[in-house]
Amino acid sequence: MVRLITHNLLACHAKDCNTNNFPLAFKDAQLEIREAEFNPEFLKGFLPKIEWTALVDTARQLGDTSLPLEQPEMLDDEFLKNLHHVLLEIHVEEGSMTCPNCGHVYPISNGIPNMLLAEHEIG
Amino acid sequence: MPPKALQATTVQGDPETYEDQNVHNVYDEIATHFSSTRYKPWPIIANFLSSLMTGWIGLDSGTGNGKYLPLPLDRPGDIWTIGLDRSRNLLEIARKAGRSDFTREVLVGNVLDNPWRPAVFDYAISIATIHHLATHERRRLAVKRLLECVAPDHGRVLIYVWAIEQDELSRRKVIEDNDPSPPIGKDVVVPWVLSKELSKSSTSSKQIAGPQVYNRYYHMFAKGELLRLVLEAAAELQLQVGSRPKAEDAVQNDTRGIEVVQDGWERSNYYVEVRLWQAS
Repeated sequence: MVRLITHNLLACHAKDCNTNNFPLAFKDAQLEIREAEFNPEFLKGFLPKIEWTALVDTARQLGDTSLPLEQPEMLDDEFLKNLHHVLLEIHVEEGSMTCPNCGHVYPISNGIPNMLLAEHEIG
Repeated sequence: MPPKALQATTVQGDPETYEDQNVHNVYDEIATHFSSTRYKPWPIIANFLSSLMTGWIGLDSGTGNGKYLPLPLDRPGDIWTIGLDRSRNLLEIARKAGRSDFTREVLVGNVLDNPWRPAVFDYAISIATIHHLATHERRRLAVKRLLECVAPDHGRVLIYVWAIEQDELSRRKVIEDNDPSPPIGKDVVVPWVLSKELSKSSTSSKQIAGPQVYNRYYHMFAKGELLRLVLEAAAELQLQVGSRPKAEDAVQNDTRGIEVVQDGWERSNYYVEVRLWQAS
């Protein structure tokens, strides 16, 4: 599955691709929305690990503009519910992810991304 | 059925090609049948996952059918474990692990790669995976990847591998050997007899008489070998080994290390748990 929770952790790992290799850019993304159980305590614990700008930009590219450009200081319920939706309810089922640096394409099929590299691309 | 004796084997040729043929392709073929026999989480792993803080995220490197992804069952959703495996067919099962109405996060990848932001996880587990790598160097690299992918100041890592020392509950026979304590483990192949109804080939035009047998490659670990592998990986990453220094120890800032929390044998497997620390 590629939800934005996972996308926010992934980086390109092709040979010699060490800078500007995050976030991977979705292309031809086919989305599916599936409800997930709301767990505000998980979100509060995970929040400091999120690369915020990457998350907001990627959500906007996928058509969700509910998150503010800056992380708010007050974590109210409305914000946490929007964050929950962006991280855990938007599924990218088909499409691909492209490295902004080297252009490597990681395909996604049936909701499962393929992060394998060809032999000559391994660092 | 009497237990099948394991066959000793020798890895030949390019280790990666060898693993493709003797591990990855086999799991893709036997995925459905294999998964139906792997459903019960082992207690030490379940306890490890129960002990993690709410809000933590982790990697299950070599997740197989994803049986650890739904844990801990008593507080679902408090942590998120992302499953990585080489076998796409196992991942198709893993993405529905635990509850069919619920989707897990899984991806196709190699345990020797590092497709993540640096040290982004809080924990990592690798259960019954590293023993499928065909050389000592590749097994050490897999351990390094686990140590690298978790946070240097609090990351926790749990590794399980198959032991030469098998218990009587296991249906497998240990290879006959006169050497009482080999320092290095043994390379073996383990037959998997694919039941006919689950065999892919039964639907193909080519009729095969009787069940299909697939041999999977394993490196059976000797006593002490897994811990040695972890310590070698730590040394390569310039991590000290020992408990987290106290404030009065006046250790240089940013000194990093690992503490071995558990190191044992359970039900035919060796396991090691470590915690990372960083002096501040």
